[in-house]
Amino acid sequence: MSEKITISFTVNGENETREAAVGQTLLSFIRDDLHLTGTKSGCEIGECGACTVLLNGKPVNSCLVLAIELNGKELLTIEGLSKNGELDKLQQEFIDHAAFQCGYCTPGMIMSAKALLERKPDPNDEDINEALSGNLCRCGAYQEIRAAIKDAAKK
Amino acid sequence: MLSYEYVKTGNLQEVFKLLESREHVYPLAGGTDLIVGMRGGKFAPELILDLKDIEELKELREDKKGITIGALVTLNEICLFKPVLDNIPILSEGCHSVGSYMIRNRATIAGNICNASPAADTSAPLYCLDAVVNIIGSDGTRSVRVDEFFTGPGKNALKKGELVQSITVLKPYPEGRGIYFKASRTGSVDLATVGVAVQSWGERVKVAIGAVAPTPVRALSVENAVNEYGEKDWSKAAALVNNDISPITDLRASREYRYHIVEVLVRRGLEKTMGV
Ligand SMILES: Cc1cc2nc3c(=O)[nH]c(=O)nc-3n(C[C@H](O)[C@H](O)[C@H](O)COP(=O)(O)OP(=O)(O)OC[C@H]3O[C@@H](n4cnc5c(N)ncnc54)[C@H](O)[C@@H]3O)c2cc1C
Ligand code: FES
Ligand code: FES
Repeated sequence: MSEKITISFTVNGENETREAAVGQTLLSFIRDDLHLTGTKSGCEIGECGACTVLLNGKPVNSCLVLAIELNGKELLTIEGLSKNGELDKLQQEFIDHAAFQCGYCTPGMIMSAKALLERKPDPNDEDINEALSGNLCRCGAYQEIRAAIKDAAKK
Repeated sequence: MLSYEYVKTGNLQEVFKLLESREHVYPLAGGTDLIVGMRGGKFAPELILDLKDIEELKELREDKKGITIGALVTLNEICLFKPVLDNIPILSEGCHSVGSYMIRNRATIAGNICNASPAADTSAPLYCLDAVVNIIGSDGTRSVRVDEFFTGPGKNALKKGELVQSITVLKPYPEGRGIYFKASRTGSVDLATVGVAVQSWGERVKVAIGAVAPTPVRALSVENAVNEYGEKDWSKAAALVNNDISPITDLRASREYRYHIVEVLVRRGLEKTMGV
């Protein structure tokens, strides 16, 4: 069994101190220890983007980060977007545009889009394509996803 | 679950000691090669040494020598660094072609060359720019040219106990255009089937190619024809690239396809950088 290390961090605005196993990925820690299962596991080798979260504001593949690297950092997951029961504008636009079929890629897509709108409030197609370059949608909802992001940017 | 020890320290002397303390010690930068490799069984570390507290590896600056990029600088940071964009945009093209936006938020240029894949996308641009790799160890520092740093597939010139500290592109910067073409099966998140970098320096040209030999290579036959013999027919010059490469067939492409596409991309690169 892998050694455990105590780490302190904030997750969706709350301070937390927990033990994480040295051999654990951030993805596994988020799902299995923090029980935040909105973050999905797909390929676990950095290729699909289902596991996208924001680490200190930047989108990363949580399957390619060690859980212990979270120490001292800020984590934002899909669960952290809605405030007081109200959805984030990106979540609402994804629903309004039906920007998914199975929905498996959606949390990752929204987290990448969230970071995009933070750094570029008025993104063009090229910006969106770049931001989503690591998020695959096996259902092929890309057109609707782009439209949802553009409409969210207008709000 | 994977099992290994993990240490993160900002103290370089301690780092050098730890690097020599076990047989299988792996420095951790962005982890995009290391974590995938551990999971796939390619690496079995006893100790993971997280470099991210080491200040000496974080510089990103331009001075009178040139541009220096610390080992911990991410590929996205390089793509946005103005001196790179203004003076050596071919390097930002190479960095930008790696993986995806998220991968580039973590991945470093030092990790890319230390992993020493012949397909490493920053390598061909670095070869064209005659970049220098600055190495640090308990005995002090030394520098090697990037083409001496790559010694074989997955192999580099680091000795046990050493780290890459930074990469420098020395002045004078190239006067002329540079371009990096990556042929791959998908628009993003795929390694290069081949990578072709072409950089003009006034009337002269440098050409480097990835994923066609055990290490990235310079296309010296092409360069020689253009630079020494004044060849201006770019198709003829590009055809000579067959002398410089020894591609293999793998899951990305056949050997024959690689010969073909490299020649096409070298010709296009010459047209774009040297004029039609
Ligand atoms: C989904 C995906 C897509 C990818 N696409 C591409 C692509 O298109 N093109 C491409 O070229 N690569 C690609 N890669 C590979 C990888 O992202 C790059 O090679 C990256 O630049 C590695 O940097 P890193 O900081 O993540 O390295 P790490 O994984 O942290 O380290 C890589 C290796 O170098 C060693 N190391 C790291 N830093 C140092 C140092 N300073 N001194 C000594 N040793 C060191 C590590 O011990 C390890 O062996 C991809 C990877 C993934 C997961
Ligand atoms: S699960 Fe992390 S990228 Fe696929
Ligand atoms: S909606 Fe099914 S993967 Fe995107």
